[in-house]
Amino acid sequence: MEKLLTIKFVTWIGRALLLCLLAAALPAGKAQAQPAEPEMVAIAHPGTSEEAIPRATLRAIFGMLLQKWPNNTAVKVFVLRDDAPEHATFSKSVLQVFPHQLRMAWDRQVFSGQGQYPEQLASTQEILSRVASTPGAMGYVKASEVDHNVRVLQVR
Amino acid sequence: MSVYSRFARAASGMAMVAALSLSPGFARAIDFLDGDLQLHGFFSLTLVNTSDNNFFGQSDDQISSEYSEVGANASWRLTPDVQLSAQLLSHRAGGTDDGGVRLDYGLLDWTMASSEEGRSGARVGRIKTAYGLYNKTRDVPFTRPSIILPQSIYFDRTRNLTVSADGGEVYLERYYEAGSLSASLALGQPQTDTDAATVALVGLNPPGHLDAKLAPDFQVMYEGSGGRYRLGFTALHLDLRYKPGYADRLGAGRFKLTPLIFSAQYNAENWSLTSEYASRRISVKDFGPFFYNGDALGESYYLQATYRLAPKWEALLRYDVYYADKGDRNGQDFAAATGLPGFTRYAKDWTLGVRFDVTPQFMLRAEAHQVDGTGFLAVQDNPNAQDLRRYWDSFMLLGSFRF
Repeated sequence: MEKLLTIKFVTWIGRALLLCLLAAALPAGKAQAQPAEPEMVAIAHPGTSEEAIPRATLRAIFGMLLQKWPNNTAVKVFVLRDDAPEHATFSKSVLQVFPHQLRMAWDRQVFSGQGQYPEQLASTQEILSRVASTPGAMGYVKASEVDHNVRVLQVR
Repeated sequence: MSVYSRFARAASGMAMVAALSLSPGFARAIDFLDGDLQLHGFFSLTLVNTSDNNFFGQSDDQISSEYSEVGANASWRLTPDVQLSAQLLSHRAGGTDDGGVRLDYGLLDWTMASSEEGRSGARVGRIKTAYGLYNKTRDVPFTRPSIILPQSIYFDRTRNLTVSADGGEVYLERYYEAGSLSASLALGQPQTDTDAATVALVGLNPPGHLDAKLAPDFQVMYEGSGGRYRLGFTALHLDLRYKPGYADRLGAGRFKLTPLIFSAQYNAENWSLTSEYASRRISVKDFGPFFYNGDALGESYYLQATYRLAPKWEALLRYDVYYADKGDRNGQDFAAATGLPGFTRYAKDWTLGVRFDVTPQFMLRAEAHQVDGTGFLAVQDNPNAQDLRRYWDSFMLLGSFRF
């Protein structure tokens, strides 16, 4: 009797699973049409020595691997939430890394004792002010938001 | 007790965890010293039901809730070059692990050289063992592709041997335009002090214990186009000696295990394909007439596809194959020599799973397995090999929270 119940239970869950998959696949199809994405740029504290930076190095910094600038200042990385559109645009167009891969890379390092998470802020405006006031800081904002308190890093 | 009431009890427990983790304030990372000191952690509970055989507790026609993982870690960046980190872990898994709190890792990471092109350094202390793509964070549900890792390579049965080791490691990273290259070489003492490690290799209630020599562990990984594809190779060598106990039937035997793992992963925006192949050379000798001595070449591989259906939903399909002995794939020779079922020497596991991230901190997963063979089942949960069934299904539900 108990065996029968288990089988019923498993079949029922299996069906529920299938329905969930279908339900989830529907909205996924709609997510294609999106408004034009704003141009994102990498910014750094004005005291940093670099004007331009190789993309590979930028990836290593936002991947939380590279921890200091050539002049020995500690790197401090600011980002937005994973689901922020600006985070996705910056990751994909500037770093050329998918946001879910950045998350996996951070998780792998934090939970094996090899690294730390970047600091998550609420808006690009907050990133702008924290980068301006923190030596060694890096972040990203929309190109239209850049002011003279931060340095834009060209990707070479 | 009926299956349903057990399930209801465990489900209400999960709901409480969910409610707790959704309350604001709790679900926040804890940073001190301007982010230089970070505290993080996770806890998760998995319910397991199997049609036959036991996996992670008494799951045969019942719901086992004896698979839980709780971890908390701290990392402190003292200077840009030096980081101290440690993690405590409680891992409960049926008869193989009682959930006792252990130091999972505790290490000092020193970056000795760093430039735009790369960095190199060393780690000392208790270091996570590099072993394929997933081993370093194998007990952190958010970093796994599924509730249980492919058992052909990431055995939960013998996990303690490859979880972490006490010693040192040197590492090197190079960042190129096309991709990044990283390599590490570690030398450490594997953890053989738990019953689980001994039982998995020697059998139930061993009077003696295992000692390990320092184990070398090498891994090289190439990540192309910002991680779009990842290619890896791992080589590990374990040399274990059995010290017989009082009135032991077994002799002073020796195990030599040399797994080689080839890893490959392709990541697109909405899907990933992952495959790993492991060749495991095993030499067992000097245990005497009451043990299955001999050399074998084990073989394992899996092919796994994950698809991100929507931002919070992910589906998984995997085929995972394990052979204890490539020269005796169906276990016929083993059965003839020992009288035990041949299907205990292999396992072929089809897995279908779904992941739902309720919030970035709270994750739910469901997973169904259809398995031919019992090669990865633990003897602690299945003490009588004659009771094992060759074909079995399992269904699992996981709730996991992190901060």
